[in-house]
Amino acid sequence: MKDLLKKEGTTSVLATLISIIIGLLAGSILILIVGVTDKTIGINGAWDAIRLVLMGLFNTGRTATGALAFGFNPANFGNMLFRAIPLILTGLSVALAYKTGLFNIGAAGQYLAGTWATLFVALSIPTSVVPAWIVWLLAFLAGILAGALWGAIPGLLKATLNINEVLACIMTNWIAANLVTWAFDLSKLKNVTEGTKTAYIYKTSFNNVQTAKVGLDKIFSGSQVNGGILIAIMIAVLVYIVMTRTTFGYELKACGSNRHAARYAGIKDKRSIVLSMALAGALSGAAASLYYLSGNPEFFWSTYQSLPAAGFNGIAVALLGACNPIAVIFTGMFMSMLEVIGSQITFLTKYNEFITDVIIAVIVYLSAFSLVIKMWISGRGKKKKTPKAQKSDEKKGVHA
Amino acid sequence: MEQAPEYVIEMLHITKEFPGIKANDDITLQLKKGEIHALLGENGAGKSTLMSVLFGLYQPEEGVIKKDGKVVQINNPNDATALHIGMVHQHFKLIDVFTVLDNIILGAEETKLGFLQKKSARKKVEELSKKYGLAVDLDAKIEDITVGQQQRVEILKMLYRDNEILIFDEPTAVLTPQEIEELMQIMKGLVKEGKSILFISHKLNEIMEVSDRVTVLRKGKYIGTVNTSETTKEELSRMMVGRPVQLVVEKAPAQPKEPVLEIEHMTVPSKVHKNNAVKDVSLTVRAGEIVCIAGIDGNGQTEFVYGLSGLEKVSEGKIILCGKDITHASIRERSLDGMSHIPEDRHKHGLVLDYTLEQNLVLQRYYEPKFQNHGFIKFGAVREYAEYLIEKFDVRSGQGPITIARSMSGGNQQKAIVAREIDRDLPLIIAVQPTRGLDVGAIEYIHSQLVAQRDAGKAVLLVSLELEEVMSLSDRILVMYEGEIVGELDPKTTTVEELGLYMAGAKRNTKKEEGAK
Repeated sequence: MKDLLKKEGTTSVLATLISIIIGLLAGSILILIVGVTDKTIGINGAWDAIRLVLMGLFNTGRTATGALAFGFNPANFGNMLFRAIPLILTGLSVALAYKTGLFNIGAAGQYLAGTWATLFVALSIPTSVVPAWIVWLLAFLAGILAGALWGAIPGLLKATLNINEVLACIMTNWIAANLVTWAFDLSKLKNVTEGTKTAYIYKTSFNNVQTAKVGLDKIFSGSQVNGGILIAIMIAVLVYIVMTRTTFGYELKACGSNRHAARYAGIKDKRSIVLSMALAGALSGAAASLYYLSGNPEFFWSTYQSLPAAGFNGIAVALLGACNPIAVIFTGMFMSMLEVIGSQITFLTKYNEFITDVIIAVIVYLSAFSLVIKMWISGRGKKKKTPKAQKSDEKKGVHA
Repeated sequence: MEQAPEYVIEMLHITKEFPGIKANDDITLQLKKGEIHALLGENGAGKSTLMSVLFGLYQPEEGVIKKDGKVVQINNPNDATALHIGMVHQHFKLIDVFTVLDNIILGAEETKLGFLQKKSARKKVEELSKKYGLAVDLDAKIEDITVGQQQRVEILKMLYRDNEILIFDEPTAVLTPQEIEELMQIMKGLVKEGKSILFISHKLNEIMEVSDRVTVLRKGKYIGTVNTSETTKEELSRMMVGRPVQLVVEKAPAQPKEPVLEIEHMTVPSKVHKNNAVKDVSLTVRAGEIVCIAGIDGNGQTEFVYGLSGLEKVSEGKIILCGKDITHASIRERSLDGMSHIPEDRHKHGLVLDYTLEQNLVLQRYYEPKFQNHGFIKFGAVREYAEYLIEKFDVRSGQGPITIARSMSGGNQQKAIVAREIDRDLPLIIAVQPTRGLDVGAIEYIHSQLVAQRDAGKAVLLVSLELEEVMSLSDRILVMYEGEIVGELDPKTTTVEELGLYMAGAKRNTKKEEGAK
């Protein structure tokens, strides 16, 4: 662990922090420009929004005089943890694939597959017959399994026919979107009891299936938080251990880094690729499971025209965390904090939550850059026109 | 020696520093008119840097360059060209889809009103080609001609530009023995016509054969200049490495025992064409002998090893290892049954370059109980084993076991692979070009290791393109030509010339043909 920090960790953390700071600054500047040019907002309105961007988690609403009040806000914290659940897991999904040499852009499709299986199991088995906790467990496992199967498809295509997993993932994403729409279309799970809503599936709480709160709701009162966050963190630690401590992780990473060498060493390369993608899919499936099993979220079943954002935000979470499973816990929470802040800004100022999307975009953009910067630092950057790279070139010339 | 006009090029007391390293430290090189002057040194000795200084790619911190006794300033390659200095690079700088003639005139085209004057250029090239015996079809495309012919095109390019000083950077690395012989003749012809040649190499045989004088560099320092006629290979290698080097592998006669590997009628289909890459190959390797498969690159050796090691499927035949049929066994099974494999391509197969040295050193053994417990890697045991191998096989790297393999030098990467494979202590060692691209010191070491393994009763199957290696290391030679074994030779009684004829397909072992009938 210490070696890790010394070698890569420090630069990774620094790079991530720098991208975050620049992202927040860029967002603030944007807020300022909008505020100054719009008379209805003005400099004071902009200042409020900037303070929310920087410290929104600690905002407790407005005081009687209309000024922003700050302090510990348990609801904000709890919601941050709750929203972090799917982000951490899809982030892990992308990170695991990345560590094994694959780019899992199919997290969205795997998430949908997990959503379908989880909702189907959680709502189809009556809790009057089977105990609710067993139904919960079955639904969770079904989500994981469905995600794994959906992830294994691009893996199989890659392993046997050498089809690029990015292409296969994009296709399976849309296939999932349409299949899921179709499957729910035919099902009896559409919410008809609440007349105000159309095209939504029942919440799992309708069948009394929901994740235990394990006391978290008391600490973070007024929020949606539940035990799912603990499960997500445990899974992240598990992924970290598997990837760094076990021969299984050694094989997967060897195969991802150099498939030929892995094969030469007797590692079954095709099996490794399929397994990597299946595991990545399982994590995305788990993301959907834990999100919907919390009982409150409602699933808009007619998804054939759009893919769930959780899948793509996973890429951002993983990139920002340099694909380290432990770091992904924190970057996942950071992203969900921005989501919470976004709703606060909408609620308390004339700005809306899209301002946080801008911040996320800038951060992701920079975090992708930070990978490049880190590659330069570790001397692996290939010869381009920067003076640094040229010097290393000259050195190579000496040894040639 | 003070007469200025005696030398066409003088590089006097050249010092070139890079951050942290003196690549050239007070080096003097004097090239006489009409001589072949060899520049000898190990990898990293500073040969390339010195030539880059002469070519204007680097500016030296100290020292001067003189041309015909006059001090000149070479700031860039154009200056070098203006001084009639030309270079044949190790990797040719030719355009594959252009014709030979177009490649030769490229960059020095004669034009009239913007139109190419190819006729006069063709005449000039034809004259040059006749004068120096550089036969090549001017209208053929580069991609259609052999590597040896491509090299002639490079030489013609230099001559077309009226270069007087010709630099050859490791020109023989890519050639077959016959082509090397021809190149030597061409070089001799060039100096006869008054050209002067700088010949960079670390192959002692060629230097001894063709050069007039030799300048030796070691670790950036000037060691000395000697007349070739007054020196020996042993002395040159001692100057180059800094200690006496065993050039000829010393080994006792082989004492072959029971067969370890038996291959019967093995056929491997090709990935590039419809024919089989390996055709009906049968051979036996016994414990305690080194059997070498010789041949020119691309005659099925790679596919043969792939078939043998399980990387490719065998379409026909039988492979028996230690009495067990492994024809259809997986790679891991073969490995467990006693096959270790030093692969041809160390970057493709030999190493996971992004892994650390210690991770690479257990690449073939990580699953053994010694290194894992219920699937959890025993990091302590891995580190200990890596340190043991690094020590025993003298693998040098920046940070020891935790060095990323990618950052290591080629020689040490190869040593790491050899260490890993030999230390597994398995009955069969397949070594494919184990010394490719290495310098004399490392070659000596790897050769001595392979002989030691043989003497310890291992069966060694060596696949090599280097004639010297084949002749000095093997106990039996099998020549592979177009996927077939065309002859079995005894290195004690055969000659390099005879071997060359077999490799070129000009000769076949009559015994085998009779046997086949």
